[in-house]
Amino acid sequence: MNWHSVTLSLQVTAVATLLLFVIGLALAYLLARRRVPGQIVLETLINLPLVLPPSVIGYYLLLALGRGSPLFEWLDVRLVFTWKAAVIASTVVGLPLMVQTARAAIASVDPALEQAARTLGSSELEILWRVTLPLARRGIIAGLILGSARALGEFGATLMVAGNIPDQTQTLPLAIYDAVQSRQYQLAGQMVLIMTALGFAGLWWARRLEQNPDRRSARQTG
Amino acid sequence: MQDTRLCVNIKRSLGGFDLDIGLSAGTEILVLFGPSGAGKTQTLNAIAGLSTPDSGEITLDDETFFRKKPGQASIDTPARRRRVGYVFQQYALFPHLTALDNVAYSLWRKPNSRRRASALLERMRLSDHANRFPDELSGGQQQRVAIARALAAEPRVLLLDEPFSALDAAIRERLHEDLRAVQQESGLVVVYVTHNLDDALSVGHRLAVVNGGRVEQIGSIEDVYVRPASSAAMGVLGIPNRMVARAAAMTADELILDWDGLALKAPVQPVQAGESLLGYLRPEEIRLLVPASQSPIDAGNRIAGKITSVQVGRSFRIVRVALSNARTIEVHVPLADSRLQPILETRGDVELEIPRHAIIVLNPDRAS
Repeated sequence: MNWHSVTLSLQVTAVATLLLFVIGLALAYLLARRRVPGQIVLETLINLPLVLPPSVIGYYLLLALGRGSPLFEWLDVRLVFTWKAAVIASTVVGLPLMVQTARAAIASVDPALEQAARTLGSSELEILWRVTLPLARRGIIAGLILGSARALGEFGATLMVAGNIPDQTQTLPLAIYDAVQSRQYQLAGQMVLIMTALGFAGLWWARRLEQNPDRRSARQTG
Repeated sequence: MQDTRLCVNIKRSLGGFDLDIGLSAGTEILVLFGPSGAGKTQTLNAIAGLSTPDSGEITLDDETFFRKKPGQASIDTPARRRRVGYVFQQYALFPHLTALDNVAYSLWRKPNSRRRASALLERMRLSDHANRFPDELSGGQQQRVAIARALAAEPRVLLLDEPFSALDAAIRERLHEDLRAVQQESGLVVVYVTHNLDDALSVGHRLAVVNGGRVEQIGSIEDVYVRPASSAAMGVLGIPNRMVARAAAMTADELILDWDGLALKAPVQPVQAGESLLGYLRPEEIRLLVPASQSPIDAGNRIAGKITSVQVGRSFRIVRVALSNARTIEVHVPLADSRLQPILETRGDVELEIPRHAIIVLNPDRAS
C-alpha cells in the first residue's frame, strides 16, 4: 500500500478545504449579497473549471505559477512541482462547487433578518457572524464537502503543475494511475476502494445536509 | 418626562412614485394611516436608516440621522447607531434563536443579558415561552417577542409596520393596550403604520393620513377624523356622505346650504355666500323618524327619502337612503332599535332628521 500517497492526498485536501472555506465563502457572500461590478464575468470565471478539461486548468496554472509569472520572477515563489501546487490545483477545481452551493444558501437567508439585526445595533461583520452564516450553515457545509471531495479526486491539473513524483507529489489519484500503468492491479484496487469510500461518504453527507435542512435555518419570514 | 421630538422631512423618487413626507412626532403614538402603496413603509425605512432618501432631513431632538440639503454637509447615520427600534410586518425573528435569545440578541455584550431579556419577556407575558423557537410560537406571541427584542436595544424611537395585521381582533386589542403601556413607561416616540382604520383609532394618539407619497393631514385623532383637511383625506379615511354644497344664505344662527338642489340648515361657519364648500353628513347622527312617535323638537332638517338597502354591520345597521337631489346617503341605525324594524322591512319612503351638528362643513380654502 502506498501510504505516502494516502497521507499526501489527505494533507492536500485538508489545506485545499481550508482555502475553499475562506476564499469560497468570501466569494459566495459577495455574489449573494453585494452588487459586484462584472458579476456575471466573475461567476463565469469561477465556474469555468467545471467545463474546461483539467489540462487547460493545468496550463493556466503553469502560466500563473511557473517561470515568467510575476509570482516566480518578482516574488521568487517556487510552487511548481511541489505539493503546494497540488493544493492550488485542487482548490481551483473545488471552488465552483463550494461557491455555488454556499451562495444559494446565503441568498436564501431572508434579508429582512439582516435589516432587523441592523436596527438592533449590529455591525455588518456581526450580522454575518450571528445571523447570515448560522442560517446558511448547512448549505455552506454541504458546499465545502462537495468542494473538498472534488479536491480529493483532482487528477489532471495536479499532474501538470505538481508532477507525479513518487513520495513527493504523488497523490492518491496519481498513484492509482501509476499502479495501473505498471500492472499492479491489486495495489490499484486497494487505492480505488479508499477513494470510492471517501467520495461516497462525502457525497452522502452533503446530500443529507441538503435534504433535511434544519427547519430553523430555512427561510421562514418570507 | 421630557418630550423627545422626531422630525422627518424627506423626498425620494422611486420610479413613477414620489415620496414627499413631512411629519413630526413627540413622545406619543403617531399612526401613519393610508392605503397600501402610499409610502408608509418607505417612510419607516428612511427613519430607521434602512433606505436612503434623495434629499431632506431626519432629526431626533438635536441629533441628525439624515441630512442632504444643498449647501450643508450631508449626514447619514448608519441604522445600527440610530437607536431606532423596528417591529417588522412579518416579525423577522431570528429563526435559529429561541424567544429568549432573540430578545437577548442586542444585549450580548452587556452584563446580565439573559436576566434583562427574561424581564422583557415577562413584561410581554411570555415567560413560559422563553425557550421556544419562533416557529413554535403563535403569530401574536411572535409579535410580542419582536416588540421585546426591539425594546431590549433601548431605542428612543419605536417603529411598527402593520404589526398586528395578521392577528385577530381580540388579540390586536390586547396588544394595543400593551403597546400604549410600553410607550408610556419608556417615554418612546412611536410611529405605527397601518391601513386599518380601527387599529389607527384604537392605538394612536395622533393620526397622519398618508396618500400617494405625501402626508395629507396630521393631527389629533378627533381632529383628523371629524375634520378631514381635504377630499383626498376624506377618501383615505373612508368617510361616507361626502358632499360639495354651495353656501346659499346665512342668518345669525345658521347657514343654509344648497346641496344639488336640496336645502340644508347647517351650523354657522365663517364662509361667504355663494362659496362652494366641502363637507359630509355624519351617518351616526342622522335619524330615521318613526311615524307614530315624532319628537316635537326640530333639531335641523326634516327631509324625505327612500330606503334603497339595509346592511347589518358590526354594531349598527347601515341604511342607504336616496334623497330628492338624487344623492344616496348612509345612515347608521342602532341594531337594538326595534321600533324601526317595520320601516326597514318595507324599504319604502321614509322621513329623515338631519340635525345641524350632523353636517360638517370643512374650510372652503381646503376644499380642493
